[in-house]
Amino acid sequence: MDKEQAKAVLALYRPGRDGDDDPEMAEALAVAERDPELARWLSERGAVYRAIKAKFKSIEVPDGLKEQILAECVTRTKISWARRPAFLAAAALLVVSLALAVFWLRPRTENKFAVYRNRMAGTALRDYRMDLVTNDLNAIRQFLQKNKGYGDYVLPQPLAALAGVGCALLSWHAHPVSMVCLEADKQNPLYLFVIDRSALADPPPVSAPQFARVGKLATASWSQGDKAYLLAGLGDEAFLRKYF
Amino acid sequence: MAGGLKFHPHNYAPMAAELDFESVVERYYRPLYQFAFSLTRTEADASDLTQQTFYVWATKGHQLRDEAKVKSWLFTTLHREFLKTQRRQARFPHYELSQRDHELPAIDPATMNQLDATQVLKSLAQLDELFQAPLALFYLEDYSYKQIAAILEVPIGTVKSRIARGMAQLEKILATGLSASGLLPKEPHG
Repeated sequence: MDKEQAKAVLALYRPGRDGDDDPEMAEALAVAERDPELARWLSERGAVYRAIKAKFKSIEVPDGLKEQILAECVTRTKISWARRPAFLAAAALLVVSLALAVFWLRPRTENKFAVYRNRMAGTALRDYRMDLVTNDLNAIRQFLQKNKGYGDYVLPQPLAALAGVGCALLSWHAHPVSMVCLEADKQNPLYLFVIDRSALADPPPVSAPQFARVGKLATASWSQGDKAYLLAGLGDEAFLRKYF
Repeated sequence: MAGGLKFHPHNYAPMAAELDFESVVERYYRPLYQFAFSLTRTEADASDLTQQTFYVWATKGHQLRDEAKVKSWLFTTLHREFLKTQRRQARFPHYELSQRDHELPAIDPATMNQLDATQVLKSLAQLDELFQAPLALFYLEDYSYKQIAAILEVPIGTVKSRIARGMAQLEKILATGLSASGLLPKEPHG
Protein backbone atom coordinates (compact mmCIF):
# COMPACT_ATOMS: atom_id res chain seq x y z
CA MET A 1 0.00 0.00 0.00
CA ASP A 2 1.49 3.36 -0.99
CA LYS A 3 1.03 6.66 0.77
CA GLU A 4 -1.90 7.87 -1.33
CA GLN A 5 -3.74 4.59 -0.93
CA ALA A 6 -3.14 4.72 2.80
CA LYS A 7 -4.47 8.26 2.92
CA ALA A 8 -7.66 7.24 1.13
CA VAL A 9 -8.21 4.44 3.65
CA LEU A 10 -7.31 6.58 6.65
CA ALA A 11 -9.83 9.25 5.65
CA LEU A 12 -12.36 6.94 7.31
CA TYR A 13 -10.26 6.33 10.40
CA ARG A 14 -11.96 7.07 13.72
CA PRO A 15 -9.46 7.39 16.55
CA GLY A 16 -10.17 4.91 19.30
CA ARG A 17 -12.62 2.97 17.18
CA ASP A 18 -11.13 1.66 13.95
CA GLY A 19 -8.06 -0.38 13.26
CA ASP A 20 -7.76 -3.83 14.70
CA ASP A 21 -10.89 -5.28 13.15
CA ASP A 22 -10.05 -4.05 9.63
CA PRO A 23 -6.86 -5.41 7.99
CA GLU A 24 -6.85 -2.68 5.36
CA MET A 25 -7.08 0.02 8.01
CA ALA A 26 -4.37 -1.68 10.07
CA GLU A 27 -2.08 -1.70 7.06
CA ALA A 28 -2.76 1.97 6.35
CA LEU A 29 -2.01 2.83 9.97
CA ALA A 30 1.29 0.99 9.66
CA VAL A 31 2.15 3.12 6.61
CA ALA A 32 1.35 6.26 8.63
CA GLU A 33 3.65 5.13 11.42
CA ARG A 34 6.53 5.06 8.97
CA ASP A 35 5.67 8.39 7.32
CA PRO A 36 5.85 11.50 9.55
CA GLU A 37 3.94 13.68 7.10
CA LEU A 38 1.11 11.17 6.82
CA ALA A 39 1.15 10.74 10.59
CA ARG A 40 0.72 14.49 11.06
CA TRP A 41 -2.11 14.56 8.54
CA LEU A 42 -3.76 11.64 10.32
CA SER A 43 -3.44 13.39 13.66
CA GLU A 44 -5.17 16.49 12.26
CA ARG A 45 -7.88 14.35 10.68
CA GLY A 46 -8.47 12.72 14.05
CA ALA A 47 -8.85 16.09 15.70
CA VAL A 48 -11.36 17.23 13.05
CA TYR A 49 -13.29 13.98 13.49
CA ARG A 50 -13.43 14.45 17.26
CA ALA A 51 -14.53 18.09 16.87
CA ILE A 52 -17.42 17.21 14.53
CA LYS A 53 -18.37 14.18 16.62
CA ALA A 54 -18.59 16.43 19.69
CA LYS A 55 -21.07 18.65 17.84
CA PHE A 56 -23.28 15.69 16.96
CA LYS A 57 -23.10 14.38 20.51
CA SER A 58 -24.14 17.76 21.87
CA ILE A 59 -27.63 17.44 20.37
CA GLU A 60 -29.86 17.98 23.36
CA VAL A 61 -32.70 15.62 24.05
CA PRO A 62 -35.90 17.46 25.01
CA ASP A 63 -37.03 17.26 28.61
CA GLY A 64 -39.85 14.84 29.11
CA LEU A 65 -39.25 12.83 25.95
CA LYS A 66 -38.76 9.58 27.84
CA GLU A 67 -41.99 10.09 29.76
CA GLN A 68 -43.73 10.97 26.51
CA ILE A 69 -42.50 7.79 24.86
CA LEU A 70 -43.70 5.69 27.78
CA ALA A 71 -47.05 7.49 27.94
CA GLU A 72 -47.65 7.16 24.22
CA CYS A 73 -46.82 3.47 24.21
CA VAL A 74 -49.25 3.03 27.09
CA THR A 75 -52.03 4.63 25.09
CA ARG A 76 -51.24 2.89 21.84
CA THR A 77 -50.59 -0.49 23.36
CA LYS A 78 -53.74 -0.30 25.44
CA ILE A 79 -55.62 0.25 22.22
CA SER A 80 -54.02 -2.94 20.97
CA TRP A 81 -55.34 -4.88 23.95
CA ALA A 82 -55.74 -8.03 21.89
CA ARG A 83 -51.98 -8.42 21.75
CA ARG A 84 -51.79 -9.55 25.39
CA PRO A 85 -49.79 -12.79 25.31
CA ALA A 86 -51.80 -14.60 27.97
CA PHE A 87 -54.91 -13.80 26.03
CA LEU A 88 -53.35 -15.03 22.82
CA ALA A 89 -52.07 -18.18 24.47
CA ALA A 90 -55.55 -19.07 25.65
CA ALA A 91 -57.22 -18.13 22.43
CA ALA A 92 -58.92 -20.82 20.45
CA LEU A 93 -59.72 -20.62 16.78
CA LEU A 94 -62.92 -18.78 17.53
CA VAL A 95 -61.08 -16.12 19.50
CA VAL A 96 -58.45 -15.74 16.80
CA SER A 97 -61.20 -15.20 14.28
CA LEU A 98 -62.75 -12.63 16.57
CA ALA A 99 -59.42 -10.89 16.99
CA LEU A 100 -58.98 -10.78 13.25
CA ALA A 101 -62.43 -9.31 12.87
CA VAL A 102 -61.60 -6.69 15.49
CA PHE A 103 -58.36 -5.98 13.71
CA TRP A 104 -60.03 -5.41 10.37
CA LEU A 105 -62.89 -3.39 11.75
CA ARG A 106 -61.04 -1.13 14.12
CA PRO A 107 -59.59 2.17 12.96
CA ARG A 108 -55.82 2.55 12.68
CA THR A 109 -54.38 3.00 16.16
CA GLU A 110 -51.81 5.44 14.85
CA ASN A 111 -54.57 7.89 14.05
CA LYS A 112 -56.35 7.64 17.37
CA PHE A 113 -57.21 10.91 19.01
CA ALA A 114 -55.71 9.81 22.34
CA VAL A 115 -52.34 9.33 20.66
CA TYR A 116 -52.59 12.73 19.00
CA ARG A 117 -53.58 14.36 22.31
CA ASN A 118 -50.61 12.82 24.12
CA ARG A 119 -48.25 13.90 21.38
CA MET A 120 -49.46 17.49 21.39
CA ALA A 121 -49.45 17.64 25.18
CA GLY A 122 -45.86 16.49 25.06
CA THR A 123 -45.07 19.31 22.67
CA ALA A 124 -46.60 21.83 25.06
CA LEU A 125 -44.66 20.41 28.01
CA ARG A 126 -41.32 20.35 26.25
CA ASP A 127 -39.43 23.25 24.77
CA TYR A 128 -40.90 24.13 21.43
CA ARG A 129 -40.03 26.66 18.81
CA MET A 130 -42.51 29.45 18.04
CA ASP A 131 -42.63 30.28 14.38
CA LEU A 132 -44.23 33.63 15.15
CA VAL A 133 -44.24 35.54 18.43
CA THR A 134 -46.90 38.20 18.62
CA ASN A 135 -49.91 39.24 20.65
CA ASP A 136 -51.77 40.08 17.48
CA LEU A 137 -54.29 37.34 16.76
CA ASN A 138 -54.90 38.65 13.26
CA ALA A 139 -51.20 38.36 12.51
CA ILE A 140 -51.27 34.82 13.86
CA ARG A 141 -54.21 33.90 11.64
CA GLN A 142 -52.58 35.43 8.58
CA PHE A 143 -49.30 33.69 9.29
CA LEU A 144 -51.00 30.32 9.66
CA GLN A 145 -53.07 30.82 6.54
CA LYS A 146 -50.03 31.78 4.48
CA ASN A 147 -48.03 28.81 5.68
CA LYS A 148 -50.52 26.00 5.12
CA GLY A 149 -51.78 26.15 8.69
CA TYR A 150 -55.32 26.73 9.91
CA GLY A 151 -55.83 30.45 10.20
CA ASP A 152 -59.61 30.13 10.02
CA TYR A 153 -60.05 28.40 13.37
CA VAL A 154 -63.22 29.20 15.28
CA LEU A 155 -63.17 29.53 19.05
CA PRO A 156 -65.74 29.84 21.84
CA GLN A 157 -66.13 33.48 22.87
CA PRO A 158 -64.19 33.38 26.21
CA LEU A 159 -61.28 31.73 24.46
CA ALA A 160 -61.44 34.06 21.48
CA ALA A 161 -61.18 37.02 23.86
CA LEU A 162 -57.69 36.03 25.02
CA ALA A 163 -54.62 37.74 23.64
CA GLY A 164 -52.20 35.73 21.58
CA VAL A 165 -48.64 34.83 22.48
CA GLY A 166 -47.57 33.27 19.22
CA CYS A 167 -47.98 30.26 17.01
CA ALA A 168 -46.13 27.35 15.49
CA LEU A 169 -46.62 25.02 12.57
CA LEU A 170 -46.40 21.39 13.61
CA SER A 171 -47.20 18.12 11.95
CA TRP A 172 -48.65 14.85 13.06
CA HIS A 173 -48.34 11.83 10.81
CA ALA A 174 -47.85 14.14 7.82
CA HIS A 175 -50.95 16.19 8.66
CA PRO A 176 -50.46 19.87 9.44
CA VAL A 177 -51.21 20.99 12.96
CA SER A 178 -51.47 24.63 13.98
CA MET A 179 -50.47 25.50 17.52
CA VAL A 180 -51.69 28.82 18.85
CA CYS A 181 -50.49 30.01 22.25
CA LEU A 182 -52.97 32.17 24.10
CA GLU A 183 -52.35 34.27 27.15
CA ALA A 184 -54.54 32.90 29.93
CA ASP A 185 -52.47 34.59 32.58
CA LYS A 186 -48.93 35.92 32.67
CA GLN A 187 -47.27 32.70 33.75
CA ASN A 188 -49.58 30.18 32.27
CA PRO A 189 -50.31 30.14 28.54
CA LEU A 190 -52.95 27.99 26.93
CA TYR A 191 -52.04 25.85 23.97
CA LEU A 192 -54.56 25.42 21.21
CA PHE A 193 -53.93 22.72 18.62
CA VAL A 194 -55.96 22.64 15.43
CA ILE A 195 -55.97 19.74 13.00
CA ASP A 196 -58.24 18.57 10.21
CA ARG A 197 -60.82 16.13 11.57
CA SER A 198 -60.11 13.72 8.75
CA ALA A 199 -56.61 13.20 10.14
CA LEU A 200 -58.09 11.43 13.16
CA ALA A 201 -59.76 8.05 13.23
CA ASP A 202 -61.94 9.10 16.17
CA PRO A 203 -62.11 12.91 16.30
CA PRO A 204 -63.68 14.49 19.39
CA PRO A 205 -67.43 15.11 19.27
CA VAL A 206 -69.01 18.26 17.94
CA SER A 207 -71.03 18.71 21.11
CA ALA A 208 -69.64 19.85 24.45
CA PRO A 209 -65.87 19.66 24.95
CA GLN A 210 -64.41 16.57 26.51
CA PHE A 211 -61.96 17.05 29.36
CA ALA A 212 -59.03 14.80 30.13
CA ARG A 213 -55.81 15.03 32.06
CA VAL A 214 -52.49 14.34 30.28
CA GLY A 215 -49.59 14.45 32.72
CA LYS A 216 -49.44 17.93 34.19
CA LEU A 217 -51.87 19.31 31.67
CA ALA A 218 -55.61 19.61 31.64
CA THR A 219 -57.01 19.22 28.15
CA ALA A 220 -60.30 19.93 26.43
CA SER A 221 -61.17 18.63 23.02
CA TRP A 222 -63.98 19.27 20.62
CA SER A 223 -64.79 19.48 16.94
CA GLN A 224 -66.29 22.24 14.91
CA GLY A 225 -66.76 22.21 11.18
CA ASP A 226 -64.00 20.22 9.55
CA LYS A 227 -61.53 20.82 12.35
CA ALA A 228 -60.68 19.13 15.62
CA TYR A 229 -59.56 21.34 18.49
CA LEU A 230 -57.43 20.50 21.46
CA LEU A 231 -56.85 22.99 24.26
CA ALA A 232 -54.20 22.29 26.89
CA GLY A 233 -52.94 24.19 29.90
CA LEU A 234 -51.33 23.72 33.26
CA GLY A 235 -54.10 23.47 35.80
CA ASP A 236 -57.25 21.53 36.41
CA GLU A 237 -60.48 21.00 34.52
CA ALA A 238 -62.14 23.93 36.30
CA PHE A 239 -59.40 26.20 34.97
CA LEU A 240 -60.13 25.17 31.41
CA ARG A 241 -63.90 25.28 31.79
CA LYS A 242 -63.70 29.04 32.26
CA TYR A 243 -62.96 29.35 28.57
CA PHE A 244 -66.10 27.65 27.27
CA MET B 1 -42.26 14.55 35.04
CA ALA B 2 -44.93 11.96 34.68
CA GLY B 3 -43.73 9.84 37.54
CA GLY B 4 -46.96 7.96 37.93
CA LEU B 5 -46.53 5.66 34.98
CA LYS B 6 -47.31 2.18 36.11
CA PHE B 7 -48.09 0.52 32.84
CA HIS B 8 -45.48 -1.71 31.31
CA PRO B 9 -46.13 -2.51 27.69
CA HIS B 10 -44.08 -5.69 28.00
CA ASN B 11 -46.99 -7.10 29.95
CA TYR B 12 -48.85 -7.00 26.69
CA ALA B 13 -46.12 -7.77 24.16
CA PRO B 14 -43.22 -9.82 25.54
CA MET B 15 -39.82 -8.50 24.58
CA ALA B 16 -36.73 -10.36 23.49
CA ALA B 17 -35.21 -12.27 26.38
CA GLU B 18 -37.47 -10.65 28.97
CA LEU B 19 -36.18 -7.16 28.28
CA ASP B 20 -38.06 -4.55 30.21
CA PHE B 21 -39.63 -1.89 28.00
CA GLU B 22 -38.77 0.99 30.28
CA SER B 23 -35.15 -0.05 30.56
CA VAL B 24 -34.87 -0.27 26.76
CA VAL B 25 -36.33 3.23 26.48
CA GLU B 26 -34.05 4.50 29.24
CA ARG B 27 -30.97 3.03 27.60
CA TYR B 28 -31.57 4.02 23.98
CA TYR B 29 -33.92 6.99 23.69
CA ARG B 30 -31.10 9.53 23.81
CA PRO B 31 -28.91 8.10 21.02
CA LEU B 32 -32.01 7.37 18.95
CA TYR B 33 -33.27 10.92 19.35
CA GLN B 34 -29.85 12.30 18.38
CA PHE B 35 -29.87 10.15 15.26
CA ALA B 36 -33.44 11.21 14.49
CA PHE B 37 -32.60 14.86 15.00
CA SER B 38 -29.61 14.52 12.69
CA LEU B 39 -31.99 13.28 10.01
CA THR B 40 -34.96 15.59 10.56
CA ARG B 41 -33.43 18.69 12.17
CA THR B 42 -36.64 19.51 14.02
CA GLU B 43 -37.45 18.59 17.59
CA ALA B 44 -41.04 17.65 16.84
CA ASP B 45 -40.18 15.34 13.95
CA ALA B 46 -37.27 13.79 15.83
CA SER B 47 -39.49 13.17 18.84
CA ASP B 48 -42.17 11.63 16.63
CA LEU B 49 -39.63 9.39 14.96
CA THR B 50 -38.18 8.26 18.27
CA GLN B 51 -41.63 7.58 19.70
CA GLN B 52 -42.67 5.67 16.62
CA THR B 53 -39.52 3.56 16.86
CA PHE B 54 -40.32 2.53 20.42
CA TYR B 55 -43.91 1.85 19.48
CA VAL B 56 -42.68 -0.56 16.82
CA TRP B 57 -40.39 -2.09 19.46
CA ALA B 58 -43.30 -2.48 21.88
CA THR B 59 -45.32 -4.31 19.28
CA LYS B 60 -42.67 -6.27 17.38
CA GLY B 61 -39.59 -6.32 19.58
CA HIS B 62 -40.49 -9.72 21.01
CA GLN B 63 -39.62 -11.19 17.61
CA LEU B 64 -35.98 -10.34 18.20
CA ARG B 65 -34.14 -13.21 19.88
CA ASP B 66 -30.71 -11.71 20.40
CA GLU B 67 -30.49 -9.06 23.09
CA ALA B 68 -27.18 -7.85 21.71
CA LYS B 69 -28.97 -6.71 18.57
CA VAL B 70 -31.56 -4.54 20.27
CA LYS B 71 -29.73 -1.28 19.69
CA SER B 72 -29.01 -1.89 16.02
CA TRP B 73 -32.60 -3.16 15.59
CA LEU B 74 -33.87 0.13 16.99
CA PHE B 75 -31.59 2.18 14.76
CA THR B 76 -32.65 0.17 11.71
CA THR B 77 -36.30 0.66 12.63
CA LEU B 78 -35.85 4.38 13.12
CA HIS B 79 -34.15 4.69 9.76
CA ARG B 80 -36.93 2.71 8.06
CA GLU B 81 -39.57 4.88 9.69
CA PHE B 82 -37.67 7.97 8.55
CA LEU B 83 -37.58 6.68 4.98
CA LYS B 84 -41.33 6.06 5.12
CA THR B 85 -41.88 9.72 5.97
CA GLN B 86 -39.72 10.66 3.02
CA ARG B 87 -41.66 8.58 0.51
CA ARG B 88 -43.81 11.42 -0.67
CA GLN B 89 -40.85 13.64 -1.10
CA ALA B 90 -38.45 13.65 -3.99
CA ARG B 91 -36.54 10.44 -4.41
CA PHE B 92 -32.83 10.47 -3.95
CA PRO B 93 -31.29 12.27 -6.87
CA HIS B 94 -28.96 10.26 -9.00
CA TYR B 95 -25.84 12.05 -9.99
CA GLU B 96 -22.29 11.13 -10.59
CA LEU B 97 -19.69 12.26 -8.16
CA SER B 98 -16.32 13.27 -9.39
CA GLN B 99 -13.06 12.21 -7.83
CA ARG B 100 -12.81 15.66 -6.27
CA ASP B 101 -15.77 14.85 -4.05
CA HIS B 102 -13.47 12.62 -2.01
CA GLU B 103 -10.91 15.32 -1.41
CA LEU B 104 -10.83 16.67 2.10
CA PRO B 105 -10.39 20.41 2.67
CA ALA B 106 -7.72 21.64 5.04
CA ILE B 107 -9.47 22.68 8.24
CA ASP B 108 -7.78 23.62 11.46
CA PRO B 109 -9.39 21.45 14.19
CA ALA B 110 -9.21 24.35 16.62
CA THR B 111 -11.30 26.43 14.22
CA MET B 112 -13.75 23.58 13.87
CA ASN B 113 -14.24 23.66 17.63
CA GLN B 114 -15.65 27.16 17.31
CA LEU B 115 -18.63 25.87 15.37
CA ASP B 116 -21.80 24.94 17.18
CA ALA B 117 -23.95 21.88 16.64
CA THR B 118 -26.59 23.87 14.77
CA GLN B 119 -24.09 24.92 12.12
CA VAL B 120 -22.89 21.36 11.71
CA LEU B 121 -26.43 20.03 11.36
CA LYS B 122 -27.37 22.79 8.93
CA SER B 123 -24.39 21.80 6.85
CA LEU B 124 -25.40 18.15 7.07
CA ALA B 125 -28.82 19.14 5.75
CA GLN B 126 -27.20 20.55 2.63
CA LEU B 127 -25.76 17.18 1.71
CA ASP B 128 -27.44 14.71 -0.55
CA GLU B 129 -29.83 12.63 1.57
CA LEU B 130 -27.89 9.50 0.67
CA PHE B 131 -25.02 10.70 2.79
CA GLN B 132 -26.86 12.03 5.82
CA ALA B 133 -27.78 8.84 7.68
CA PRO B 134 -24.42 7.09 7.23
CA LEU B 135 -22.60 10.22 8.26
CA ALA B 136 -24.78 10.74 11.33
CA LEU B 137 -24.09 7.17 12.46
CA PHE B 138 -20.40 7.62 11.66
CA TYR B 139 -20.15 10.55 14.07
CA LEU B 140 -22.77 9.65 16.65
CA GLU B 141 -22.18 5.98 17.30
CA ASP B 142 -19.13 3.78 17.53
CA TYR B 143 -20.57 1.26 15.14
CA SER B 144 -18.28 -0.61 12.80
CA TYR B 145 -18.83 -0.03 9.09
CA LYS B 146 -20.34 -3.49 8.89
CA GLN B 147 -22.86 -2.55 11.57
CA ILE B 148 -23.69 0.75 9.89
CA ALA B 149 -24.23 -1.16 6.65
CA ALA B 150 -26.58 -3.56 8.44
CA ILE B 151 -28.56 -0.74 10.04
CA LEU B 152 -28.97 1.13 6.78
CA GLU B 153 -29.46 -2.10 4.82
CA VAL B 154 -26.86 -1.32 2.17
CA PRO B 155 -23.58 -3.05 1.28
CA ILE B 156 -20.53 -2.15 3.36
CA GLY B 157 -18.67 -0.78 0.34
CA THR B 158 -21.55 1.56 -0.35
CA VAL B 159 -21.53 2.75 3.26
CA LYS B 160 -17.81 3.46 3.20
CA SER B 161 -18.13 5.30 -0.08
CA ARG B 162 -21.06 7.37 1.13
CA ILE B 163 -19.31 8.27 4.38
CA ALA B 164 -16.12 9.27 2.55
CA ARG B 165 -17.98 11.41 0.04
CA GLY B 166 -20.36 12.80 2.64
CA MET B 167 -17.56 13.67 5.03
CA ALA B 168 -15.65 15.49 2.30
CA GLN B 169 -18.75 17.42 1.27
CA LEU B 170 -19.64 18.23 4.86
CA GLU B 171 -16.18 19.56 5.63
CA LYS B 172 -16.18 21.63 2.45
CA ILE B 173 -19.48 23.21 3.43
CA LEU B 174 -18.19 23.86 6.94
CA ALA B 175 -14.97 25.31 5.57
CA THR B 176 -16.94 27.60 3.26
CA GLY B 177 -18.99 28.77 6.23
CA LEU B 178 -15.88 29.34 8.30
CA SER B 179 -14.26 31.30 5.47
CA ALA B 180 -17.35 33.45 5.08
CA SER B 181 -17.30 34.23 8.78
CA GLY B 182 -13.60 35.08 8.67
CA LEU B 183 -12.54 32.14 10.81
CA LEU B 184 -10.69 30.50 7.96
CA PRO B 185 -8.61 32.19 5.25
CA LYS B 186 -10.43 32.15 1.92
CA GLU B 187 -8.97 29.76 -0.59
CA PRO B 188 -7.47 31.48 -3.63
CA HIS B 189 -9.41 30.99 -6.83
CA GLY B 190 -7.95 29.56 -9.98
